Amino acid sequence: MTPDFVRVTDYDLDEPLTLEVVAEATGIRVTFIERLVHLGLLETIGGEPPPEPVLVPRRTVLRLRQIQRLRRDLGVNAAGASIILDLVERMEGMKREVAETRARFGK
Amino acid sequence: MATKTRDYYEVLGVSRTASEDEIKAAYRKLARKYHPDLNPGDRGAEERFKELQSANEVLSDQEKRTKYDKYGENWRYAEQAEAAGVGNAPPPGWQDFRTGGAGAGAQDASGFEFNFSGEDAGNIFEELFGRAGRARRPTRGRDVEATLELSLEDANRGGRQTLQMQATDVCPTCQGTGFVAENQICPTCRGTGQVIAPKTIEVNIPAGVRDGSTLRLAGQGGAGAPGQSAGDLYLRIRLRPHEKFAVRGDDLEVELPITPWEAVLGAIVQVPTIEGSVEMTIPAGAQEGKRLRLRGRGLTKRGGGRGDEYVRLNIVVPPTSSDEERRLYEELRRSSNFDARAASQRKGAAS
Repeated sequence: MTPDFVRVTDYDLDEPLTLEVVAEATGIRVTFIERLVHLGLLETIGGEPPPEPVLVPRRTVLRLRQIQRLRRDLGVNAAGASIILDLVERMEGMKREVAETRARFGK
Repeated sequence: MATKTRDYYEVLGVSRTASEDEIKAAYRKLARKYHPDLNPGDRGAEERFKELQSANEVLSDQEKRTKYDKYGENWRYAEQAEAAGVGNAPPPGWQDFRTGGAGAGAQDASGFEFNFSGEDAGNIFEELFGRAGRARRPTRGRDVEATLELSLEDANRGGRQTLQMQATDVCPTCQGTGFVAENQICPTCRGTGQVIAPKTIEVNIPAGVRDGSTLRLAGQGGAGAPGQSAGDLYLRIRLRPHEKFAVRGDDLEVELPITPWEAVLGAIVQVPTIEGSVEMTIPAGAQEGKRLRLRGRGLTKRGGGRGDEYVRLNIVVPPTSSDEERRLYEELRRSSNFDARAASQRKGAAS
């Protein structure tokens, strides 16, 4: 079967999106997203405080979904979910370093 | 393919007489352990979590739990099929269409459906057989998140990668409606309007992707409702650890073993880089741990240019020596005034 060739639309998901577009993409109310921005739990574009209209990079969509999954599945609040995700990211970085070291020294 | 689901009570590790609180506590405890966002890239954890979700969805709802206790794993279909008069036997191959499974190769596809409205996420059968009696479906197709594992060389070089995955697509029989006639469930998709089909796509991975980079492929996610756009595919890049190189941002680090005489006298040696070996000069008097820089031999940067490679010298003493070598070392010991311990103390005092 000849595979379809698809183009990478976005790399590292830097594309700026308005909160309304994010709301539509995720099914989450704009007011809730605004609250997360206000709490500093979502990355914005343009410094602090972010200029109007508030823009967020597309990767925020994925982060937002992760936060909501943790809220839904584990009952943690948004701030807690954000901290958990930051810690998981740091842990993954450390695991990679350990794996690299092991690979180099054969241990 | 039909797979027998495990007993939900067994999945949660509770007895069949467990209370609501016991079920909730058991689910929360296991969910914390196996949640995929807390175990990135762990296929086993993801599969286990899907099981937990299915079990909790049923056992935490008294009505569903009663039906499950009565009908077993085909509880959703059996009662409704009897009521609708479409036959008593549950369909073979009934499966959870909430996520796409992994295809062949090193790629995983884990489509998590998120619904902020508070309804059960991915509860397709309840939508079909619930009060409305007709399918309610999200308009746009769901986004899918997957992991793509690459070697450091492939990530640096970029180029075409073939991905094999199981993806949801519009049912070709009912065109996504779930029904082939009034109240007649589509036999192909069992009423979901979607089928899971193997899909192979080729992607041109940009040069210079890093561990943790995420690529978006628009329209390659789950199929949307009829007339609606498909969701997107988000590919998270994972780099396999390299046996030689450590990645430090845009730079690479490699350890180079050298002999004591190469360190003392200097030498021209072959050094590995990500594109093959190059010659490098070790200056005379090189110390253990010294880092030498090879400009532009690091990783490709996204905006152009390259990082550097750092070569860390590791002086290795021969484990055994010939008689002649021992004689020469003895002569060196007699003729040299160098005191390593004193030098180290002076260095420590200076810093």
